[in-house]
Amino acid sequence: MGAASEALRGVVAAPAMPASFEALFRREYSRVVAIAYRVVRDVAEAEDVAQDVFVSFYRKHPADAGYAPAWLHAAAAHTALNVIRSRERRGRRETADTVARDVPVDPAQQTEDAETRAEVRGALARIDERAAALLALRYSGLSYDEIAAALGLRRSSIGTMLRRAEDAFRKEVTR
Amino acid sequence: MMDPNIDRIMNTPDVQVDTERALSRIRERVERERIAPVISAPRAPRAPAVSLWVKGLAAAASVAIIAVLLTVSGVAETILTIFEPKQVVAVPITSSDFSGATGFAQYGTLVWSTPPQPIDVPDLATAERESGMKVLRATLPAGVNTTKARYGVMPRTTATFTFSAERTRASAARLQRTPPPMPANIDGAKLFITGGPGVVQFYGEATAPAGATGANPLSGMPMLIIAQGKGPVVQSDGVTVEQLQQYLLAQPGISPQLAAQIRAIKDPSSTLPIPIPVDVATSKNVTVQGVQGVFVGDSTGLGSAVIWSKDGLVYGVAGTLTEAQIMAVANSLH
Repeated sequence: MGAASEALRGVVAAPAMPASFEALFRREYSRVVAIAYRVVRDVAEAEDVAQDVFVSFYRKHPADAGYAPAWLHAAAAHTALNVIRSRERRGRRETADTVARDVPVDPAQQTEDAETRAEVRGALARIDERAAALLALRYSGLSYDEIAAALGLRRSSIGTMLRRAEDAFRKEVTR
Repeated sequence: MMDPNIDRIMNTPDVQVDTERALSRIRERVERERIAPVISAPRAPRAPAVSLWVKGLAAAASVAIIAVLLTVSGVAETILTIFEPKQVVAVPITSSDFSGATGFAQYGTLVWSTPPQPIDVPDLATAERESGMKVLRATLPAGVNTTKARYGVMPRTTATFTFSAERTRASAARLQRTPPPMPANIDGAKLFITGGPGVVQFYGEATAPAGATGANPLSGMPMLIIAQGKGPVVQSDGVTVEQLQQYLLAQPGISPQLAAQIRAIKDPSSTLPIPIPVDVATSKNVTVQGVQGVFVGDSTGLGSAVIWSKDGLVYGVAGTLTEAQIMAVANSLH
């Protein structure tokens, strides 16, 4: 019976990774990393995010699903945003601890890149999550159609929402 | 303060990634954590209801029909493999019984010569023709909607598993483990596995539990599943059940309790063990169709199942029904 065969299959071996998943991975991996990288600004961290995103997809969705790219793009943005948001919260606590312990921070020791990275992450972590996701998707090169598919938005509203997201982001980095 | 020119800030050059390395990394993780992929059912040429078939199998799994999708370590259960099932027995398992034990894939290579490819069929007569077996009919309880009946056939499935000491060593090294060495007579030994054919009948649509609000989590799942099929038969090109048992039960990650239960199975070459995850399901022995079977109830009370083996076939009845209803359906099969 089917269940018996399936049981046998489950018992004997973890099913092999489907070729369709490997093809999807090869097609979308660099894009998923690019989206995560726009948010976390660190290559290793972006690759970790991408691994988690693909594993989540693997667990729950068939690789040949038509929605696969849109799902991966959205998940990349949201997972990366979760990473920086939790870090932002932890960072605030750590900053408070640092001030409390009165340990001096020497800004000259930080490179400009590190400073920019921290500010971008901070700004993206503080603005509305959908706005942050919009920015991450748009600046990693997704088209309006792809963004609309990923975030479940109407294509016609992407332009307006993007402008608002940019305004919000700008306010955060200039505050 | 940072330059507020958003283009300059956000338009960073794309990073260079090594996709093949990343793919190897995810492969290792999937294997290590025994993550099963979600597979789309192959398109059936005869009927469009493939998704229902998939949902049906999911429902079967959800009521723990035979731990189909439980990612228990294959290790312990594989000892049952050189066999042809004549009876079933419950083997209670807990997550700690197989903690850290990884997939059977680490011991060798499985090659499907005929992979499991369920197909939808329009009626029981076609199911009989496609499967080549007599399909038993049940008396359905009141309230089970026969207008939503669906039928699936799982054609005969065959696979060959080849043990490999080298692959085992490599897998263990990745996991930083030192398992007992694979005996020379097991290295390179082959198991020839066949399962099916089988027929699965789905009836009705499960309703939400009383008092539940919001979307029905069981929506689209059948209320009753009746399955029958030729149980998995495993042949070996030399290695015996005892040799495999001795080797596999000594693997790290298999609890002594689980090993003892497996060893206690009197006739491992003809007993199909039904792994019962004790934290989500309960089981007991019952008499069904004149033979001993295993009744499984999930701890939510939503579903139950009974599984038995008779005359060379394995049967299962599962659904979101009461124990009395499930048993009545099972005993009505003729």
